[in-house]
Amino acid sequence: MALTGLQIFKLLPNTNCKKCACPTCLAFAMKLAAGKESLDKCPDASPEARAALGAASAPPIRAVTVGHGERAITVGEETVFFRHEKTFVHRPGLFRVLDASTPASAIEDRLTDWSAIRIDRAGEVFRVDGIAVVESPGSPEFAPAAAQAAAAHGLPVAILAATAKGAAAAAEPIKDRRPLIVPPAGADPGPFVALAARLGAALVVSGADLDSLAAAAADAARAGVADILLEPPGDDLATLHKHLTLIRRGALERIHPGLAYPVFLRAGAGEFSKAVLGTATFASIMAVADSGGETWMPLWTLRQNIYTDPQQPLRMDPGIYAIGEPTDASPLLVTTNFSLTYFTVSTELDGAGVACHLAVVDAEGLSVLTAWSAGKFSGDRVGKALREMKAAEHVSHRTVIIPGYVAVISGELEDALGDGWQVLTGPQEASDIGPFFRDVWETARPK
Amino acid sequence: MTVTVKPKTWPGAIREVTLGAGSRQPLTIGGGKGLPLHTFEAPFPHRPLLALEITDVDPPRWVDTVRAPWDGALGRPDVAARRAVEEYGADVVMLHLVGTHPDRGDRSPAEAVEATRQVLDAVRVPLIVKGPGGGSRQNDVLVRVAEEFRGEGLVLHSAAQEDYKSLAAVTVAYGHVLVAESPIDLNIAKQLNILLSDANVDLDRVLIDPMTGGLGYGLEYAYSVMQRIRLAALGGDRMLNAPVICLVGDEAWKAKEVKVDGTPAAIWGDRGKRGVHWEIATALPLLEAGADLLVLRHPEALAEVRRVVDGWFVPGR
Repeated sequence: MALTGLQIFKLLPNTNCKKCACPTCLAFAMKLAAGKESLDKCPDASPEARAALGAASAPPIRAVTVGHGERAITVGEETVFFRHEKTFVHRPGLFRVLDASTPASAIEDRLTDWSAIRIDRAGEVFRVDGIAVVESPGSPEFAPAAAQAAAAHGLPVAILAATAKGAAAAAEPIKDRRPLIVPPAGADPGPFVALAARLGAALVVSGADLDSLAAAAADAARAGVADILLEPPGDDLATLHKHLTLIRRGALERIHPGLAYPVFLRAGAGEFSKAVLGTATFASIMAVADSGGETWMPLWTLRQNIYTDPQQPLRMDPGIYAIGEPTDASPLLVTTNFSLTYFTVSTELDGAGVACHLAVVDAEGLSVLTAWSAGKFSGDRVGKALREMKAAEHVSHRTVIIPGYVAVISGELEDALGDGWQVLTGPQEASDIGPFFRDVWETARPK
Repeated sequence: MTVTVKPKTWPGAIREVTLGAGSRQPLTIGGGKGLPLHTFEAPFPHRPLLALEITDVDPPRWVDTVRAPWDGALGRPDVAARRAVEEYGADVVMLHLVGTHPDRGDRSPAEAVEATRQVLDAVRVPLIVKGPGGGSRQNDVLVRVAEEFRGEGLVLHSAAQEDYKSLAAVTVAYGHVLVAESPIDLNIAKQLNILLSDANVDLDRVLIDPMTGGLGYGLEYAYSVMQRIRLAALGGDRMLNAPVICLVGDEAWKAKEVKVDGTPAAIWGDRGKRGVHWEIATALPLLEAGADLLVLRHPEALAEVRRVVDGWFVPGR
């Protein structure tokens, strides 16, 4: 629990020496409590004070990093229960499960494909965050090769071990790449803890209930494992969700040091709903067995939704976007850079089957009416933006369609654009874009 | 050292609202006294209900992958209703009168009444009737349906802050349930319920539609506003403690991602499954954020959400 200003004050020397640039020790303590100062500014603070303050200011959930280099992934450090309170800190890592007993050439092909995936969506790049290598119980000799191959692609590696011996064989050669060791369910944790401590690897601990889970984490920490993830018990979704909830709540309330860690989940073949609930609710690293895009695209997108800043509207980069395959005779429309507005409009345009140019103007991420009321979508501003994005070079005609809600800016916009530009007022609702093109555009279009 | 995480208790509870009356077999939602799905620490007398959406006319905007399970039933509301309930296991049916929209068929209120009658004759479950969307046609259609089927406890979708009086009046006069729709905004949701309450609508007959954003298209806004509404309700705000309805199918199947034949397959996978997954991945987070009534479109999505809900709300747990 964070300390109050008065609690901190009692730990300070109370000399009012002003070396910290505060008039009194009490003033300094208040700033420390508010997180606006660092104890480093007090040269006379005792080691006890440093220890107490350090423990109190530690995040309620520890950070854990898996992997090495550019694609290393850090999870944990969350500070809230609900996303509307404050942006969740680290997006969960979605690891793709790789069966190590797959023939080596097929493994290489898959890793090449998977590590190359890059999908740009609304300002985020979707990628496979890591590889969860499964040690087949019958043939442990394959796991080390698969783990090394994944590491060679620069991807973080989790080892879903069948045996402690197999885990050691797979983790040892890539110990510099910070692998994550995941013991099998119900295994004696002892050998895995010793292995993770020896290699400096991250470790997943589990337990049949919250007590044994927290105890297992505390034991592993005592044995020298620094990076720990908790695998919550729960064979059915309700039990799993209960434990996900209690772990987060318990960590934020700091009721047991063994809960102060991020969470590991496995979503087996066909367990799409589990993967969805885990992504929405507190999973930090998840090994997903299904590799098809029909599973991953929704999971990536859900993660993007949940982990955005709840205060900040999603924004598109301003510019002219092609809908379908437009030519220079295709219509030119303009809207704001609020992602939701863009997605709604572009989806309706797609649906209407009208190839066109959609100019997205920087309106600070506000929707059309809000932007206009705030002066961010005035005729002048839209005109300037269209000139800057060289709209005239995208179309041979000189007609621009504006959202129906801002019909009032058409005169000002025509003036701002000059050069024979005409403004056509479109529908108020994106869902009426289809009828608009059918009924209005066909007669009003530039000939 | 035992780990004891204190259960959360709340002063408020969600209202119980009964859908369907008269010739309907009524079903009740709401009544929960804890955060959504937190069945381990709070009583939930009713499980969330799952509805399927059917339409009065063949909906041209539905993509082929969601049309497939409705083959032969699109535009035949009686056939579709029977299939939704008997084959696909819907608790509730939503008849979307899409054909009454001036641009999508311009069908008259009398035709809307006829479509509604076909559904009421075909099945006995509670019925949601959704109008063509905001505007005067919405009121014309829903008012006529409400008058015609008095006492059936229909769920009328929907009234908005700007235009609620006609629907409030027929809800009171003919014993229906009214959906109060607000644009992803807690304050407007509350304001509208205050207005309805002032218009003599018993709030035990009101559902909140906070406006659903589909996965990738504002889901997070709906998710967070629903969580905030639920926290306010559990905190004791009686103007926000109505059960929540989410039109999941309509939003999920609008997404570009369910329509495109994306390549490569390694990234996009199978389009049909992707659509069903898109609907599931919209529905489950909303369930978690407090939805009490989910309206879905694809029976496979319904089946999976049903499996999740049934596994959760096991009697006696």
